Amino acid sequence: MRLNWFAASLMAIPLLRAGDPSYLRDVRPILDKNCTSCHQPASTQSDLDLTTYARFRTGGKRGPAFVAGSPEQSLVIQFITAALTPSMPFGQPPLAANDVATIRDWITSGARDDSPSEDASSEPGVYHQPPVITALRFSPDGKTLAVSGNREILLHRADGSGLVKRLPGKADRILSIAFSADGNLMIAGGGTPARFGEIQFWEPREGTLLRTAEATNDTVFGASLSPDASKVAVGCADNTVRAFETATGRELYKISTHENWVLGTAFGIDSKRLVSVGRDRAAKLIDASAGQFLENVNQMHGELAAVARHPKADEIVIGGEDRVPYIYSMDRPRNMKVGEDATLVRQLAAQDGAIFALDWSPDGKRVAVAGAAPSVNIYDADTGLPLASCKGHTAGIYAVAFSPDSTHLATGGFDGRVRLYITKDCTLEKSFVPVPLDGGAQ
Amino acid sequence: MLKLVHVLSVAAVALSLATAALVAEGTHSAGSGQAEQPRVTFLRDVAPILNKVGCTAGACHGAAKGKNGFKLSLRGYDPQFDYEALLYDLAGRRFNRADPGRSLMLAKPSQEVAHGGGRRFAKDSDYYKTIYNWIAQGVPYGDPAKETVAELRAEPKEIFMTRPGETASLKVVVRYQDDQTRDVTRETTIESNVPDVASVESDTSVIRGERVGEATLLVRYQGTFGAIPVTVLNPKPGFAWKPLPQFNYIDRLVDAKLERLKIQPSPVTDDVTFFRRLSLDLTGRLPSPESVRALLDDPTPSRVKRAKTIDKLIASPEYVDHWTVKWGDLLQSSRKYLGEKGAYEFQQWIRDAIASNRPYDKLVRELLTARGSSYDNPAANYFRVTREARPAMEKTTQVFLGVRMVCAQCHDHPFERWTQNQYYQMSAFFSAVGIRAGYEVGEEIVFDRRAEYEMKHPKDGRVMKPQFMLASSVAPVPDGPQRRDALAEWLTSKDNPFFARAIANRMWSYFVGKGIIDPVDDIRASNPPSNPALLEALTKDFVAHGFDLRSLMRTIVSSRAYQASIVTNEWNANDRDNFSHAIPRRLSAEELMDGVSSAAGARARFPEVPEDTAASQLVDPHIGREGFLDVFGRPPRESSCECERRSDFSLPQALNLVNGRTISDAVADPNGRVARLVLSGKSDEAMVDELYLAALSRLPTQEERQRGVTYLSNAAKGSRAQDLLWALLNSQAFLYIY
Repeated sequence: MRLNWFAASLMAIPLLRAGDPSYLRDVRPILDKNCTSCHQPASTQSDLDLTTYARFRTGGKRGPAFVAGSPEQSLVIQFITAALTPSMPFGQPPLAANDVATIRDWITSGARDDSPSEDASSEPGVYHQPPVITALRFSPDGKTLAVSGNREILLHRADGSGLVKRLPGKADRILSIAFSADGNLMIAGGGTPARFGEIQFWEPREGTLLRTAEATNDTVFGASLSPDASKVAVGCADNTVRAFETATGRELYKISTHENWVLGTAFGIDSKRLVSVGRDRAAKLIDASAGQFLENVNQMHGELAAVARHPKADEIVIGGEDRVPYIYSMDRPRNMKVGEDATLVRQLAAQDGAIFALDWSPDGKRVAVAGAAPSVNIYDADTGLPLASCKGHTAGIYAVAFSPDSTHLATGGFDGRVRLYITKDCTLEKSFVPVPLDGGAQ
Repeated sequence: MLKLVHVLSVAAVALSLATAALVAEGTHSAGSGQAEQPRVTFLRDVAPILNKVGCTAGACHGAAKGKNGFKLSLRGYDPQFDYEALLYDLAGRRFNRADPGRSLMLAKPSQEVAHGGGRRFAKDSDYYKTIYNWIAQGVPYGDPAKETVAELRAEPKEIFMTRPGETASLKVVVRYQDDQTRDVTRETTIESNVPDVASVESDTSVIRGERVGEATLLVRYQGTFGAIPVTVLNPKPGFAWKPLPQFNYIDRLVDAKLERLKIQPSPVTDDVTFFRRLSLDLTGRLPSPESVRALLDDPTPSRVKRAKTIDKLIASPEYVDHWTVKWGDLLQSSRKYLGEKGAYEFQQWIRDAIASNRPYDKLVRELLTARGSSYDNPAANYFRVTREARPAMEKTTQVFLGVRMVCAQCHDHPFERWTQNQYYQMSAFFSAVGIRAGYEVGEEIVFDRRAEYEMKHPKDGRVMKPQFMLASSVAPVPDGPQRRDALAEWLTSKDNPFFARAIANRMWSYFVGKGIIDPVDDIRASNPPSNPALLEALTKDFVAHGFDLRSLMRTIVSSRAYQASIVTNEWNANDRDNFSHAIPRRLSAEELMDGVSSAAGARARFPEVPEDTAASQLVDPHIGREGFLDVFGRPPRESSCECERRSDFSLPQALNLVNGRTISDAVADPNGRVARLVLSGKSDEAMVDELYLAALSRLPTQEERQRGVTYLSNAAKGSRAQDLLWALLNSQAFLYIY
């Protein structure tokens, strides 16, 4: 059990005298109700974000929002009492007098932070229902299958014969998992929706959390690890692609050329290039070393949700809203014209629903496609011909992964069960709920 | 789109895995020992909350592109879509089965995390708990065969308030397909169509009478709706109904409502004013000075005289001109779509139909079933305007049924029964109609078997077979290429509740300035008739007379309601909806132009057409474009909406009247009325009388005559007489029908 941040945050809660106004109990509800529609990470009017104590204290363009002990010198009081204009809440009736008094009293009494840290409320605990599976991945030695849980990653034996280890973390949702080729590093990307994004770096054999990195105020999507294991790339809800240094967790750069959420990333085989895909329908090629946008890869059709790369060549398969998986070459002919689609290698059959997940088998021969429809379809990567269709799922499949020897395919999604299929004919070999359910429902 | 069966099976799996329903707020550990919670489903419990608290509103996630990456169907018309958006988007981002309290779909609306839409419900609210339990129970969708609302009942059926300031409330109960019922008053959306008569308080749904008048409450719940009329009576004491003569059934039905509302109607206007009003409404022209004099000299009793005048005007050639303009507008007869020759041919076809008083059902059938050469059969031009199936369907339903289907192209109509499927099923009646070039220049052939003519649904490409939008006795609906013939039969049938009603209402509006349902081409539950019995009676009468438009018009203009004065009394001064008095209407562009010409005795001049062609005889809006007619709101015929003809009054119009050449040239015409009067050497008194008769269709009052004479008694008689006519043409008495 890792109790470090849990215990620390409990101790960090200052003791309040009864009767003192509390930030958590009294002030924040007033801000939440009246202010945070505009002053929040997604809409920082006047660069002010009132959703956490720290950001409230930091303030916006005009400086700190309050001066502890001095309500009349505090910007927040001046704005809500119309001493400064425009008076707040903007365009709304003024706050009730007792709400103003509450904030004033809280500042007078020292403006202390009694909010629990984000981490305080949970250890991965008891499950009454299986969570939606959003990520799964085999370790390179083929022995372990890592599966997303609620606030944790679960390591299972690859044949589904048992749970090996639980790796609890801070993020509610783990949306992507990747291993380094040597199996010494496992990274996971995710976060808690509308709160924070997190990248976790694990030593998977011992289950040691090496470090974490945070980015944006929402989950990070489609995290991928460069083949040389030096960098992690993620897509973000602020329309950026960000790269992090594996060794330190330091953010290396962010690229803002997408016009909507970025949902998938994949490095080229030499780790020097990177492709990102997003809801703006674009697949963008990025110089992964310099952090420079190079060019668009695709002709735009629908929103893109997933990308996977050929194990040995710079070819990618992308897919999303328009249900068609497209295979593109990452290399462009020198004199390609605008609007030309010469880098399209082939497109696979349209699916019965939007595409959510893709994987390319390690032997390079197969592509697995999954999404809103209830089956996972496997195609011959060289001819585009359909090979097999794996049934048994209900709608909404969010994760597919081939085993390192390409003989098995693991899938997971809305119904919360992991299914293990034999790649060549989609025989269902095993189906299990990866989390321990209370009452022994597993 | 996912198949429903998948969703349901998912829900079932999830539900079976939910070993204990979690109810206690925000913690895992309280699962045991909780009482069994009522089963919560998306259809029955959750979707209504999303609508009520505004998630699906057009300005929020119901917008065409959603909001902040999250899209729901507009006002929740498509619960299946909304369910999938909530559960499947971005790998189930918005709910957390393992820890329901951490679900984004609870954290956002309760503003636990910042939400651009603000706080929609509190963490301790019933709505929060319902959604929490739904997630804890495994997010079941529910069974559409059982849990779809079958019927909505709102009580009371009608609200009467004796004075402004009174309040009322509705109780709304729905019955589901499985016959269960539920009081959904709290989740029902109630909106007033005239909030300054009856307002609805958004949180409590308390209805409050704001001022004297009528309003309709639109009550909506999960795709079902009802309309509740509200009447706020005048509290002023002393009302005593004074019956006026009733000329026909129209007056009985108008009076019945007026008496109930404590509105005393105005009596009929005088003969001369009536003559001018009638002449403009039936023929678009002013009566000639001679005909006004003849009327004044005619000793026959007024009622008889009026009846004779009505018959005479309906039989006049100007009647044909006037109604050819109206139908040319509605059918968009314009060279822009039809070419020059095509527009002439189509206009001639319309003229013939009006001149021969072709029964309306026959006329419409001829249009809808027209095929062949546009030169040999000009009715085929009907399809050359729209060219494609969907616009042809939109136009057909709007013009002939008064129903606007266009919203349903992209989504089920938010306030109406029309669904997106119906939009395509109705369009399918026209999908086989093809147009190809003919043999002569500008000729086109309308035919019935274009390649791959089946209508396809835009979402999934499935073939939409033709299907009538209302239940019909025509069965089965033929789906061969000539399917539109069946549509024509159905549409023009006596049993079609929309067809005759739409034209009866439209015709009524042409004579009194406002439809019983208004706008006349936006008929829907939320836009109810101001006098349903009147509309019903007009419709029946019209059908009983074999769809005879002239008979319908004769009935309308023979009523006291039509013939009422514009002068109001203390009880009807504020009424604009119940036909208790006449309401002045501005002359239309063509009426003004032709009125100026006839008053000034000057020839109208338009390019490209023979001299003396009246504005109401022009083939299409191409002629005289960007001139006087367009300033005064002549429709460009680019849409079949009645609203395309503008009847407002604008600054450019005022400037044109005062400074423009149309009036100044007409009054100064060397061969015009003023020039001839001056040359004839008539007395000043006779000149003043003549100018008043010509411009205002009445004799001057004693005072007016005296002032006119004084003004003319001057050396420059000619220019003074021009001034007088100019002043009359700029007066409201000329510019309005009253």
